[in-house]
Amino acid sequence: MRFLVPLLITTLPVLYALSVAAYARIYNTEPADTGDQTSHRVGPRVLRVAVLLHLLYLIARGWTEGHLPLASVYDFLSATALALAAVYLYVEMRQRIRTTGIFVLPLVLLIQLIASAYGSTVPLTKPPINPFWFELHTLAAVLGYGAFFVSAIYGILFLFLYREIKGNRISFFFTRMPPLESLARMNVSAASAGLVLLALAILMGIGWGKAAGLHPFSDPKTWLTIAAWCLLGFAVVAYHRLGWRGPRAVYASLAGLTTLLLSRVVTDLFVRSFHTFR
Amino acid sequence: MTQLAPGPLDLVCVGLSHHTSPLEVRDAVILSDDEVARALDALRGRAGAAEAMILSTCNRTEIYARGTRLPDPATFVASLLAEIKGVELHLQAGKHLYTLREEASIRHLFRVACGLESMVLGEPQILGQVKGASELASRLGSAGPVTERLLDTVLRSAKRARSETGIGRGPVSIAYAGVSLATKVLGDLGAKRVLLIGAGEMSSLAATHLKDAGVTQFMVANRGRERGEAFAEQHGARYVSLEALPVVLPGADVVVSATHAPTAVITEAMVRAAMKIRRNRPLFCLDLAVPRDIDPHVARLENVFLHDLDALGQIVAQSLAQRRAEIPRVEAILEEELARFLRWHRSLAVKPTVTAFRSHFEKVAAEELERHRGRFRPEDVAAAESLAHGIIQKLLHHPTTRLRDAEADGLDGAARLETVRDLFGIENGTDDGDEGAGSDADRNTR
Repeated sequence: MRFLVPLLITTLPVLYALSVAAYARIYNTEPADTGDQTSHRVGPRVLRVAVLLHLLYLIARGWTEGHLPLASVYDFLSATALALAAVYLYVEMRQRIRTTGIFVLPLVLLIQLIASAYGSTVPLTKPPINPFWFELHTLAAVLGYGAFFVSAIYGILFLFLYREIKGNRISFFFTRMPPLESLARMNVSAASAGLVLLALAILMGIGWGKAAGLHPFSDPKTWLTIAAWCLLGFAVVAYHRLGWRGPRAVYASLAGLTTLLLSRVVTDLFVRSFHTFR
Repeated sequence: MTQLAPGPLDLVCVGLSHHTSPLEVRDAVILSDDEVARALDALRGRAGAAEAMILSTCNRTEIYARGTRLPDPATFVASLLAEIKGVELHLQAGKHLYTLREEASIRHLFRVACGLESMVLGEPQILGQVKGASELASRLGSAGPVTERLLDTVLRSAKRARSETGIGRGPVSIAYAGVSLATKVLGDLGAKRVLLIGAGEMSSLAATHLKDAGVTQFMVANRGRERGEAFAEQHGARYVSLEALPVVLPGADVVVSATHAPTAVITEAMVRAAMKIRRNRPLFCLDLAVPRDIDPHVARLENVFLHDLDALGQIVAQSLAQRRAEIPRVEAILEEELARFLRWHRSLAVKPTVTAFRSHFEKVAAEELERHRGRFRPEDVAAAESLAHGIIQKLLHHPTTRLRDAEADGLDGAARLETVRDLFGIENGTDDGDEGAGSDADRNTR
């Protein structure tokens, strides 16, 4: 297993780059033909292979290190890239829409490039205390982040398309996008999935922290994450119950994601927290 | 020396279209399938065409024939159409009818199939119509190897043009632009409810397009009850009075308004109240009236999409401009495919020599095997035959490929063929390009 790690960490960015190229081709050709042409099947296939190999990479790392490889910020980035790609693939399979891949996968490529370039050079400084709960907590958090990122990307695409339609513009972008309602559904569905995952991450994190003798509620990261969760939760509930549809719902979910990302930055740069990756 | 310059296609196209003829003339010459069959019979029988195909749509009727013996194809076609339709058409060559020959006729068919010659640039129906004409010709036995190959190439290039360029992109009619926008906002329209305000021609046209897009639930509001109810019955809709608009508006996902009312029929307050009841679900409004039926301030409301005639016209103009900009890219694809087809056609000229060349070697091998048959055990004869055949295949593969390539690429194929004939004593005078056209081997290489 050990020999696989350097091989896979080099292969992953290449595969994601190939996926980006294939999805760019899908975006550049007529939507009516999507799914029929061989070239349009290449992208999803390459991406599936990339996701499977990424999973294999994490298993290989876990096997050789004896715990889930989420001990450095670069590990976290790599896992986020995998979560993003996996969530995107799931949404693509559910909605059968491939023209939005080009807006998600470059981000996956960028994150994985950084993780591949620097990840292997960072030694494990802080071994996990209670691996089982810690691993579940981290896994749920990473998947949750992935879901929120995908939700945000669909939200931004929604806003662009909304403006195009309101402004009577039939641009190249207009012809490539799925209906506005589909983008709104993708935005809310991914955010809902992210909410569930983040709730699990928070609960397991608190449980793990207490079991490890830490004080989770004294950590600002815990409170910032709970605040972000509340904001995102409000956006989803408002969509379903208060008629907050369209741009308002998207802005609310984007505000939630921004808070979540700020909580990460604040934790890493400005405060002392046991969540800090330094 | 054998004449090996690319053999003539001997293809002629005679036709009329919206470019050359008014609607009444085009209407008069539209051919049904039975009439196409009669015309094809006449072309093969009386005009001596080896292969023929007829494309007849509301915008064009064109006859493609190969190998005719006609000095003046346009006159023949004019009298043939008059005979089949049973009326005097007074079609004039050069005025209504155009005649295109050889490469020009092929290039024209390519352009037609891609929608470059269509009344609405890039419209997709013509591709299906060309395909239909091709299938009909095949079914009636009038399509030969060259026209079949030609039509395969034409259909492939038209599909390429549609997928590789933007020639079919964007709506190019007002009604279709409205439906496209509604679909872009709401997705599948199958489960959506449509409120039509007004029972005139525009509402009827919109209802037809919306039905095509899958809508099944219609309400129609009209000032005149009788006319409104008649319209509702015709379109399977439910009639409501204009006064009931504030009540029915929240239940509609799409509103199409086309009345002659002098003031707004739908006000901002009405839509604001409706959106509250709808929990802000998107509402798509098409205002097809002049003066406008829907207060333009409605467009400011969140999740309300209002498009009037000006906006739709602007979208159509954008789409047409985008399509026009794609013409050079489509033409590049057409030229590439045309060159490929002509190369294939030129390669037919070399086929008889290649066949004779191979036969010569096979014959020598068969004679030698026969002469030495006595030296083999009976169970080894098949192996010896297979060995001889294998050697011939390997020896001839490169020379035959070179001969084909040289001819297809227009290189010095004639000299090469002459040398081969001379060296191997192959009979002269069969390379006219047509003998090989219909062979099974040739069909298999398409």
